[in-house]
Amino acid sequence: MFRILVILIMCLVTGNSMGQSLPLKTGQTAPEISLPRLDGSPFSLRSMQGRLVLIDFWASWCAPCVKEQPELKALYEKFAPAVKQQKFDIVGVSLDKDKRTWGKTVARLKIHWTQVSDLKFWKSQAANDYGIEELPFNVLVNGQNKIVAINLHGKALEAFIQQYLEQPAE
Amino acid sequence: MKYIFFLYALFFLLPENTTAQNKKEPWSAAQLMPTQTLAEQINKKQDGHLLILSVGPDALIKGSVNMGPAHDPEQLKKLKSYLKKVPRSREVVLYCGCCPFDRCPNIRPAFQTLTDMGFKKAWLLNIPKNIKTDWLDKQYPVNEE
Repeated sequence: MFRILVILIMCLVTGNSMGQSLPLKTGQTAPEISLPRLDGSPFSLRSMQGRLVLIDFWASWCAPCVKEQPELKALYEKFAPAVKQQKFDIVGVSLDKDKRTWGKTVARLKIHWTQVSDLKFWKSQAANDYGIEELPFNVLVNGQNKIVAINLHGKALEAFIQQYLEQPAE
Repeated sequence: MKYIFFLYALFFLLPENTTAQNKKEPWSAAQLMPTQTLAEQINKKQDGHLLILSVGPDALIKGSVNMGPAHDPEQLKKLKSYLKKVPRSREVVLYCGCCPFDRCPNIRPAFQTLTDMGFKKAWLLNIPKNIKTDWLDKQYPVNEE
């Protein structure tokens, strides 16, 4: 009886925090993201091959996403040596519509990793390709362009990156 | 005793008890307009009496006017100044759709402003998840690009 109650509680807690349907699966090839950067130059996810890439889908209008940016910044700083060695990186894919607001938010939050967007809000090609239903949403892609984790946040995200980078090179 | 404790914990973990529903909100349950109701009125062209204002990311709903995200004091000022010119008897529908109500920073200041300015027929569009799932994906009417 006690065990059943514990399991029931765990299911309820999990259900509350993961209300999102996930069409993506770990192990599948990450859909290509080919979008302009904030400065207008072209970006391709394929160009990041060989590193673990955290693709952070966000928008300046999404309060929980903006709230998460300092945490991502801390991660980026923590794993700065791996970034330097081209073993890890973050790419922010924004679902913003207004370039000025997007740019102002990136500047205000002092985000230094790559930022891309087609400024098409929910009609963004990347949002469609990754089957995003709500923000924030993220995907971790390995050096072989395979999805290795979906929608990890906070300590779970940090632990995953740490563990991945500590693995012997493939 | 152990079971009583877990049943007590269970009660507080139920989704209804973890949402913002128990907090004192500036709107009442009767002021929540279902998305289907608004979509039908727009489709039947019976929305002429409504002023539909977006206080979130974008004025996506057909016929709505973009006021900008109301958590930004500048945008809230813009909303106030816009509403000054609107008769208080007008039916106003506010919506955001950035995220679920409990995480939305825009709807509370916007709805409070509407109420404080004396609008008696104020509605908040009931968007449980976001504008994508609850409007776009349902093929409800949108503003032309």
